[in-house]
Amino acid sequence: MTYFPDEVVEHIFDFLSSHRDRNNVSTVCKAWYLVEQLSRLRVFVGNCYAVRPERVMARFPGMKCLTVKGKPHFADFNLVPHDWGGDALPWIETAARCCPGLEELRLKRMVVSDESLELLARAFPNFKSLVLISCEGFSTDGLAEIATHCRGLRELDLQENEVEDHGRQWLSCFPDSCTSLVSLNFACLKGEVNTSALERLVARCQNLRCLKLNRAISIESLIKILARAPNLVELGTGSFTADHRTEAYQNLLNAFYKCNSIRNLSGFWDAAPRYLQAIYSICSSLTVLNLSYAPAIQVNDLIKMIRHCFKLQKLWVLDSIGDKGLAAVACACKELQELRVFPSDVYGTGIAAVTEEGLVAISSGCPKLNSLLYFCHQMTNAALITVAKNCPHFTRFRLCILDPVKPDPISNEPLDEGFGAIVKSCKDLKRLSLSGLLTDKVFLYIGMYASRLEMLSIAFAGESDKGMVYVLNGCKNLKKLEIRDSPFGDAALLENVGKYETMRSLWMSSCDVTQGGCKALAAKMPRLNVEVINEREESDEMVENPSDMHRVEKMYVYRTLTGPRDDAPDFVWTF
Amino acid sequence: MELELGLALPSSDLMMEKSTFCKKRRFDEVLDENTVTLPLFMQREEDSDSDRGFERSSEELNFGGGRVIVGWPPVKLSRRRTSCVKVNMEGIAIGRKVDLSLHDSYQALFLTLYTMFPKKQHEEEDGAYNSYKVTYEDEEGDWMLVGDVPWEAFIKSAKRLKIITY
Repeated sequence: MTYFPDEVVEHIFDFLSSHRDRNNVSTVCKAWYLVEQLSRLRVFVGNCYAVRPERVMARFPGMKCLTVKGKPHFADFNLVPHDWGGDALPWIETAARCCPGLEELRLKRMVVSDESLELLARAFPNFKSLVLISCEGFSTDGLAEIATHCRGLRELDLQENEVEDHGRQWLSCFPDSCTSLVSLNFACLKGEVNTSALERLVARCQNLRCLKLNRAISIESLIKILARAPNLVELGTGSFTADHRTEAYQNLLNAFYKCNSIRNLSGFWDAAPRYLQAIYSICSSLTVLNLSYAPAIQVNDLIKMIRHCFKLQKLWVLDSIGDKGLAAVACACKELQELRVFPSDVYGTGIAAVTEEGLVAISSGCPKLNSLLYFCHQMTNAALITVAKNCPHFTRFRLCILDPVKPDPISNEPLDEGFGAIVKSCKDLKRLSLSGLLTDKVFLYIGMYASRLEMLSIAFAGESDKGMVYVLNGCKNLKKLEIRDSPFGDAALLENVGKYETMRSLWMSSCDVTQGGCKALAAKMPRLNVEVINEREESDEMVENPSDMHRVEKMYVYRTLTGPRDDAPDFVWTF
Repeated sequence: MELELGLALPSSDLMMEKSTFCKKRRFDEVLDENTVTLPLFMQREEDSDSDRGFERSSEELNFGGGRVIVGWPPVKLSRRRTSCVKVNMEGIAIGRKVDLSLHDSYQALFLTLYTMFPKKQHEEEDGAYNSYKVTYEDEEGDWMLVGDVPWEAFIKSAKRLKIITY
């Protein structure tokens, strides 16, 4: 490229939205590196322990938006002990010193204390947006700080966090002068809120477009809120049940009639069927519908509603929808791109809800489907092969058969061929989760065909080290590999050690990796942190008499520029 | 269906006295043939760290024919519906909470309820034998008698329980 002034190069870089593209251009030459680093506004850190906050902020002094992720994904399922780490405070403290112009902070699976929130609220005068996903460690007191001190706050988005309830007053802390809110999501809070304060807040924030209420909000309150916010685009309905046997239905119907802009609906925790009819008028405009927290909705009411939702692009439901309900979705929702079917009966006592039939119906009715999360009781190779043929555009395919080692119930064979068909057909597949009875063969297919795969989740699968090796040697774009309860050991772990520097992380739990294997990996690859989590009572014995032959219960390996972390708790050993 | 809770004194022999407490024949008549036996021990997300040492979380137990495994199925905490419901007894100010998912039948539930509300708290002065009914509030807000529907349907719809004198 011939000489261009920096401003021109910078302007060209403005068109690069993805951090990956920016990472790539910054490696072209020194000049580009410098222009890029000064102009990067949105910074993404996929693993909070891969790099120190100081280093990030020294490189990107103009940072306006920071995203940081903490714990490994399996922490969502209770596999990571409580005090493992992922503290947000160092990031917030460093940003307060180095980047006081920060406007947006997005944290996922991190520990966020009330102290951190207080600092956040006071240190950044232009702060506009806080998004916390699957975080913990804070209470409504921290939220009160944010509400009180963040002038000009536009977005407070709390998704699936564990928040301690210290009372309902936090919401009242938004001052009367606060009129800037565009998005407020407190659906994950368990406690009550001050509903009259909420109504007043909604009334004065004329730009509010997204409001997601928690379960404590009844229909009566919802009606009043909707009256004050008819321009909402995204709504989380709250409990969707009436406190008293009032004639809420007619009022609800009227309220929804006026809300012409709603495109995204969720909530419905305690929804009784009769209230669902009130939303039929907006169903035909919906693009996103999340009924996955609504176990009381019966199939037939669901079907009646779905029939109206012909513009739906994203649907999250419980498996009580059944194959019959999925067939109705397949008929009505031709624009469907993402489907998630969650288990309604986590303890497995009920009758089979959805099977392979439902999935096949969806695949043939919804050609635009590209993202799937499907919990079911059984799956067949034939069904997967059909799905692969019908939907070659999957980017995310996550199948969870509730009995994790169940074979194809018709042929009694493993599901290798079915998943093989998926990876062969879906050339853009970026994320895959496997389940059911699987041999090493499925990994051979994955290594051969899944060249764009970035994240792979394996549970109770495979027969030997070969399985894991196929994946490590084959999937050239692999970034995250998480494995549990599978027979992969040291030989697999050490087969391709260089691979791990091209990946963000590797998680292995209840596999056959030993302490000796972990030590060997750590010795060969100094730029990886090889962490072992030891929760057992016998860990004291292990310390005194550590044996390399001991199997390691949980191992987490990640590339890093910082060396072993200094906040590791007792039960985490870094080799 | 009337449910008569026998009022023996609580003791460590409670399990042995089960037969006087629960009139087995009646339960057999009412309940489905195919009640599933749930494990009474599960890995609970609510367990604090201090409990972890005692409850070895990788125990494998009965799972509708298979096993219950830690972190399986892979659903987030927020989706594991809490099956705890409040229980109040007529005449007693302080209520209790019971986790329905830890019980596999009405029988087991009544046993727990009996343990929670022992005789001493509600003894009549004249020592008369009291009958109680256990009622529940369903998802539509109606109060129903416990025991009419299959156990699985009951645990999905019960919002809270109330023990009333009869």
